[in-house]
Amino acid sequence: MFDPPLAPANGVRVCVIGGGGTGAALAYDLCLRGFSVTLLEKGELTSGTTGRHHGQLHSGARYAVGDRAIARECMEETLILRRIAPDAVEYNGGVFVALSDDEADYAPVFTAACVESGIPAREVTLAEARAWEPAINPAARRAVWVPDGAFDAFRVPLAFFAAARRLGAVIRPFVEAVGFDLTGGRVRAVFARPCGSTRDERIECDYVVSATGAWAGAVGRLAGLDVPITPAPGTMVAVRGRVSDMVVSRLAPPGDGDIIVPQRGLSIIGTTQRVVDDPDGILPNDDDVAFLLGRADELCPGFSKRPIHAVWAAARPLAGRAAGVGRSISRDFMVLDHAAPGSPPGSSGMATLIGGKATVLRAMAEKAADHVCMALGVDEVCRTRDYVLPPWREYYSEGNYAEGATLGGRR
Amino acid sequence: MSDTVSASAAIPLRLRIRDGDGYAEFRVEAEPHRTVLDLLERLRSGGSAVPAYRHSCHHGSCGTCGAVIDGVEALMCLTRAADLAAPRPRLPGGPAVPPERDEAGAVIVTLEPLSKMTVVSGIAVVPGPVFAGIPKGASYLRPASADGRASLPPDPAEAVADPGAWRPDGRVRFEACIECGLCVSACPVAVPFIGPAALAAVNREREKRPEQVSAMVAIAAAPDGVGPCGRHLACSRVCPQAVFPGKHIQLLRNALASLA
Repeated sequence: MFDPPLAPANGVRVCVIGGGGTGAALAYDLCLRGFSVTLLEKGELTSGTTGRHHGQLHSGARYAVGDRAIARECMEETLILRRIAPDAVEYNGGVFVALSDDEADYAPVFTAACVESGIPAREVTLAEARAWEPAINPAARRAVWVPDGAFDAFRVPLAFFAAARRLGAVIRPFVEAVGFDLTGGRVRAVFARPCGSTRDERIECDYVVSATGAWAGAVGRLAGLDVPITPAPGTMVAVRGRVSDMVVSRLAPPGDGDIIVPQRGLSIIGTTQRVVDDPDGILPNDDDVAFLLGRADELCPGFSKRPIHAVWAAARPLAGRAAGVGRSISRDFMVLDHAAPGSPPGSSGMATLIGGKATVLRAMAEKAADHVCMALGVDEVCRTRDYVLPPWREYYSEGNYAEGATLGGRR
Repeated sequence: MSDTVSASAAIPLRLRIRDGDGYAEFRVEAEPHRTVLDLLERLRSGGSAVPAYRHSCHHGSCGTCGAVIDGVEALMCLTRAADLAAPRPRLPGGPAVPPERDEAGAVIVTLEPLSKMTVVSGIAVVPGPVFAGIPKGASYLRPASADGRASLPPDPAEAVADPGAWRPDGRVRFEACIECGLCVSACPVAVPFIGPAALAAVNREREKRPEQVSAMVAIAAAPDGVGPCGRHLACSRVCPQAVFPGKHIQLLRNALASLA
């Protein structure tokens, strides 16, 4: 039963721009802390990057060698998400497999880094790994068990939206932020345009957080801000059937085509990476498909013989600016305060969340909400890890009817 | 899904997208493997005023991008240009007929919002009727068949589970139903009826959780339960996930009969 104690309403109005996973968790977090929240999303909720991610619930093992802090955070967040959104997580664990001599040599380095990051990884025999998942390449050299899983990229965020709305947040999909009132050098209001309308609404607010991921550059420009973000799309291929229940990854530094995530009735091989200027209308590179299927066959032979179900692409929001394909940019996230040089943080009335990834959506929201509290002098702590979220179905079953809407019909 | 698709293989399409009382029309040249959703995304990012549509995962998992495409409910992310140019039914379960073409030879494709749902704008709907009848605590996880595989290892980092949450032991996976509502839209029943998606969920819950049997049977036995279903099977015919709600409704009828 979702019935969290609420902080007293503080009357402070926060406008969250962006209806992805981070915006969802942020709206919920701010409501718990007593803020009055309006969230704007130009399309359907999670129609940007969030919904399209391959669904891996990262234990952090993938990042441990490169960055212990990110890995530790992933591990903490997987445990939290498994606790607060249990019905939207397929938790079956994962296996990293080494296929080459170099990868076999990497195993002890990898396992030690995981353990140092609080991830209870352990090397297992190949026979053991293949007893769990016979699809794993019999020619693999070494295997490491990790607490990876899969989660529903749509339903986890929707559970956060359901929670936020239950606590009074006004969630407005199909309403685009098109401008800001910056009178006096501070955001006073957001101009919002409902889809299909030519009339803008003025949404008065005391603070704005842009949680627009790969679109943060475009939204920042509306306020005259330069937001360093690199949209970095990757292609994914889903084939029919579950090759495994465990997530199967390549025991190597993060690269292309090195993760197979089972989910529902599909197996997904991801991903590739390139960088683009505009994250809108990202389509998969056709060349990526054969490459990804070939890489999947190395992990689990026969993967490519399964019927292809879908091919798609999603734009990661890398914090910073990249040349090349951007793999050198950290997957970490930060809250960028837009105060003018020499002015106190928060004085611009706006911040942007940049970077990050789906597994840490709740942690990103926590950090952003902490920032809002600091900027506005509100003394409330984060409590989003404490309560099991309401069912995602509540978001739609409780109605969200737009004014003037009509019943659809056909024929 | 080949990487050698040549420009000559492009399929000319005339997309007619419901927008209020009329249609917005777009002429596109589509590679055969591009989906309807890909085409809408390309038009929108190119600056065209495309009527609103829902989308999220782009691979048939989220269930948001349903539409009535030339008279039959389908997911836009799984309907390719090649499918549109091939003979297709114009009614759920109807005979396949060749595509309609305009005077220039372009395949005419009409996109309507799902029926029985509130339209936000364009073909974007609020899918309330899909979710309203699904039992509040219905579990979305089910056991994944082990198929002779070894048990998964115990998790040393076990998350502290919510004591109230039901969870199958061992390997788990999500239910096949993606709650897309194509079945609800296609169902011709016009009297109060909780609908095929909800009844499929009711039956799954009945089968998975013995302690829920009596509550689930009561939902099925209510006046808006299985009774109004006229066995049209439109629900099963449009289901993109092979859930076949008509089968679940029949299983509920059988369960009711065995209790009578």
